Amino acid sequence: MLDIKNLRVAVDGKEILKGLTLKVEAGRVHAIMGPNGSGKSTLSYVLAGRSGYDITEGSITYNGEDLAALAPEERAARGVFLAMQYPVEIPGVTTMMFLKSALNAQRRSRGELELDAITVLKRVRAKAAALNVSEEMLKRALNVGFSGGEKKRLEILQMALFEPSLAILDETDSGLDIDALRLVAEGVNSLRTPERAMLVITHYQRLLDYIVPDRIHVLAKGRIVAEGGKELALELEAKGYEQIVKDAA
Amino acid sequence: MSVALALPTRRVEEWKYSDLAHALGEAGFGDETARVTIGAPPAGIEIFALDEPNRPDWIAAHYGKLRGNPVSAISLAKARGGIALRVPKGRKIADALSLEFSGNGHARALLVLEEGAELTLLERVGPETRNSGLEIVIGPHARLDHVRISPAADAVQVEEISVKLARDATYHGHFANFGARLSRTELEIAVEGEGAEVELSGVSVLSGERHADVTTHVAHDAGHTRSTQLFKKVLGGRTRAVYQGRVTVAHGANGSDSRQSAKALLLGDRAEADLQPELEIFADDVKCAHGAAVGDLDADSLFYLRARGIPEQEARHLLIHAFLEDAVDGIADMTLRETVRGAVAAALVAVTA
Repeated sequence: MLDIKNLRVAVDGKEILKGLTLKVEAGRVHAIMGPNGSGKSTLSYVLAGRSGYDITEGSITYNGEDLAALAPEERAARGVFLAMQYPVEIPGVTTMMFLKSALNAQRRSRGELELDAITVLKRVRAKAAALNVSEEMLKRALNVGFSGGEKKRLEILQMALFEPSLAILDETDSGLDIDALRLVAEGVNSLRTPERAMLVITHYQRLLDYIVPDRIHVLAKGRIVAEGGKELALELEAKGYEQIVKDAA
Repeated sequence: MSVALALPTRRVEEWKYSDLAHALGEAGFGDETARVTIGAPPAGIEIFALDEPNRPDWIAAHYGKLRGNPVSAISLAKARGGIALRVPKGRKIADALSLEFSGNGHARALLVLEEGAELTLLERVGPETRNSGLEIVIGPHARLDHVRISPAADAVQVEEISVKLARDATYHGHFANFGARLSRTELEIAVEGEGAEVELSGVSVLSGERHADVTTHVAHDAGHTRSTQLFKKVLGGRTRAVYQGRVTVAHGANGSDSRQSAKALLLGDRAEADLQPELEIFADDVKCAHGAAVGDLDADSLFYLRARGIPEQEARHLLIHAFLEDAVDGIADMTLRETVRGAVAAALVAVTA
């Protein structure tokens, strides 16, 4: 589904990703772990198409298509979803109105019929309860005054609503207490299907106790330096990044 | 009557961003009298044409008393006729009254709300070159909700709206402005009664080379009075928006609370915003806040919306609407609020095209 080959990415002329290669198949959950500054967020942004991230070498192929050639909105319509580390607050746009605009924009782009407000509301409600997203939150301006946990729950609600093929979770655990983390992880796990791939990006092993990955990659200084099964997370926790990076060298 | 009827030049501080004499040319505003008309008046409103003889006492008591600037003095001297309206004591009018200034020249109108009266006023303006003066007197415990919509025009338009508030009176004014060759809306608000409350808001959406100047002066002359101002501007092309807001809190007007905010989104390469909130405080125990900001659309917000599938153009529209929303959603009357939203949406098409 996702095939990243020898990817080099620069931001403001400074190279952050230095030859990253990664393959993710449908139905699999891969985790990217790494210390601060290793290039984790750069990877998530370059996959979602944020401007300012220049691909200087290598390729990103998604379902046979050159992902880098697509605008962010085209990627979204083709099923790429990035749950962001810092969801933005937008005063003046209600959460519900945003969800409807986004869902219908994606449908329009795929040549599907747009849904009316009632249908969207029913779909949102059906997903919201499990994530403890209240009616009141849906009426408020997007993310304005939301707690860290509320923002992350809303990201996962969007993931449930948009039903992406490839979901990228960027530090979804940051800023969450253990109850909020459990709730978010349950939401994510309920979205694991044989058709959907996930890339879970995290600094800490903690999240991977709840979202158990099929494969773990360790990112350091812009490259994958170690790979393994879910047990690699425990090894990282015990030894620390420094030792793993050293062992790999 | 002999009045010095000279137009202000740009050397006058308050007119430095709006070169009226230049915009008008030699013809000036001329000597004509422009029209003031009202829609079907709701029951309970008294109407008097100002060109008729034998003006009643309530007009004599209030007409021509509130002029604040030299341009308004000219309209007062030159306008023949106009209209005066009164909502008698205790009358609460449910239906909105519409009032329109149209035609070239000078025009005057007076609106008096007696004690406890309530009214919603929709003011419309025609696209001609005109100098208008609207005086509003709000009695104790009375309330006026005023919405003014001025469509895009190629003319020169100056209007002074002067408002006087008695004890516990309320004035909510919204000013939706789509610009003109030169457009000046001047609000001269005298908060004279204790406990009175003023809420001013407005949006300017400008395209092409249009200009819109909103100049306000809110005078807190009594204690425990409140005023808020929120003006938002979206500027395309080579447009220019001006906000000059002066709040004065007089000696003894203790416990007053005033807030003013003006923000502009510059979307045109050669658009300009001049935002100047200003405070003069002579009283104690006063809460005052003011701020101004000029900028472009937030890049993080734009990326977030696009990453959720919303195409760039639509995302920009959404963010512009969002930027304006808090200046519009304070309009109490739902129908008028939607009318303003509709006018804003139509004007934004021209700005972002």
